[in-house]
Amino acid sequence: MVDDEKRNDILKRLSDGVVYYDEEKVIVASNEAVEDGLDPFDAIMNGLAAGMEIVGQLYEKQEYFVPEILMCADALYGGLNILRPHLKAKEMKEAVKGQVVIGVVQGDVHDIGKNLVKMMFDVAGFTVHDLGADVPLEKFAEEQVRTDSNIIALSAMMTTTMMGMKKVIHMIKERNPDVAIMVGGAPLTKEVADIFGADGYAENAGNAVQEAIKMISRLREMHAKQQLGATP
Amino acid sequence: MGGNGLNSREKVLKLLNHEEVDFIPCFSGMGNIVMDGLKKYGLQFNEVHQDARKMALAAKATPELFGYDCAIVPFDFNVCAEALGSKVQYYKTEDILYPSIPEKIIKSFEDIKLPSDPENAGRFPVVMEAIRILKKETGNDVAVGSWVLGPFTLAGQVTDLTKLLKDTFKKPNEVIQFLTPLRDLLIAEAKLYQKAGADFITVREMGTPVDLLSPRVWKSMIQPFMIKMREEIGSPVVLHICGKTNEIIHFMHECGYDAVSVEHQNDVAMSRQKIGPPPKNLLLGNLNTYKVMVEGTAENVANEVRAAIDGGVDAIWPGCDIWPGTPAENMKAMVETTREYGSKKKKGG
Repeated sequence: MVDDEKRNDILKRLSDGVVYYDEEKVIVASNEAVEDGLDPFDAIMNGLAAGMEIVGQLYEKQEYFVPEILMCADALYGGLNILRPHLKAKEMKEAVKGQVVIGVVQGDVHDIGKNLVKMMFDVAGFTVHDLGADVPLEKFAEEQVRTDSNIIALSAMMTTTMMGMKKVIHMIKERNPDVAIMVGGAPLTKEVADIFGADGYAENAGNAVQEAIKMISRLREMHAKQQLGATP
Repeated sequence: MGGNGLNSREKVLKLLNHEEVDFIPCFSGMGNIVMDGLKKYGLQFNEVHQDARKMALAAKATPELFGYDCAIVPFDFNVCAEALGSKVQYYKTEDILYPSIPEKIIKSFEDIKLPSDPENAGRFPVVMEAIRILKKETGNDVAVGSWVLGPFTLAGQVTDLTKLLKDTFKKPNEVIQFLTPLRDLLIAEAKLYQKAGADFITVREMGTPVDLLSPRVWKSMIQPFMIKMREEIGSPVVLHICGKTNEIIHFMHECGYDAVSVEHQNDVAMSRQKIGPPPKNLLLGNLNTYKVMVEGTAENVANEVRAAIDGGVDAIWPGCDIWPGTPAENMKAMVETTREYGSKKKKGG
């Protein structure tokens, strides 16, 4: 077991390693977490994800830009690949049991924002069905039905392609109004997301990360409520 | 009304030639096709990208229907990428789907193969022919424009953008090496369009706003490419970047283009202050092509036009390609409000 001091030390190094895109530091701290028996879920959420949250804030403040975020993401995956295999069944249960279908809409091949959001879902323990880029609109609805996913995340990087989103949202909501839909990409604004009928919105790579975290915690609350409701 | 006796083409060219003017034109250097225009000539959206005649008709319908001051070709972002060997996917559906490039074929600098005969490479000849048709059929009345991407944006079309972005940090010299031949092909492309008769060229380095790259990287890495393109292409030439640009507008302006163009996320009053007054320094912008132009009412459009003019733009210029589904009444509101309010404003009203 690890004492508080050791735990805090490892978490800080994980977080710092992500923030300062120091993949080596993250790898060393992750291996140490495993060896010392630190709860891997704790290490992921309060180390790696906490670091990524800071990265999102630095982006908002225009201290970081997209190249920096991409390097931070590499560092984060360096740790995630080590820690995730050690998650036990019990911890997996504590993680949100969720599935997400994610992809870039037809006509658009820009997948950076999509990959960053995917990363946050990976971190949170979601099962991610990544459809890639240039995805035909019907495919999102089909994949949602096939997998019974509770979130659909759509991305478009160009004004000329974001119109596809409106159609997808309509298609999915018609069949299953409870699915949470998140949209993101450079041409989108909050108002456009509302017009499209989306539940969540991320304007850019940095706040896609934050929005994903928010959306996950909303789902976690919903999940908790459902569990309470199910208790006799 | 201002611009007495001048037609659309004369107004645009006087403005870009830095003359004192008593009007504000309504035009842009980016795609301007609308469904009403396609309907006028019995065209489908998916057939106007590879056929010069259809491309020209789609472009000229907008000034014909709405009094817009220009006609612009082409419409999709893949023309130069195609000349570099990328395979372009053309959609056959009735939806408005722009062509795209599903596979990034260029993995490294060594993979870049410039066409030996640019004049006959990919769709360059199609765009050139469309320009010639436009010049012949409408070129006395409206400005005929064309555009090329910037090298960074083109790189994002042909290679892995994630790697490219990380390399701006890790291996800046390799990024510069990679972008150099792309820049040279883009300059050649612009010259072909000028040769075909384009009245003005817009360079769209869309992939480099502050949302993506830091102002520092823009200055050190992108600006030298923009300056070289400006020098080689010659006047009249406009530099456009979408997204957030207030933090780099002065760097854009330093490149010496005849005008800088921005979209709705740019605070034009702030940009005006940074770049200095017209007619030497021209600022074009910044209508929101979706929220206002497509989803808004004619009154919303008129308000946005007035706000942009009050903010100090020298032309009302949609901040991106006009979305083909833009309602006719909004197109009319854009052009008419620009004429009336622009002239009033120029008279000090």
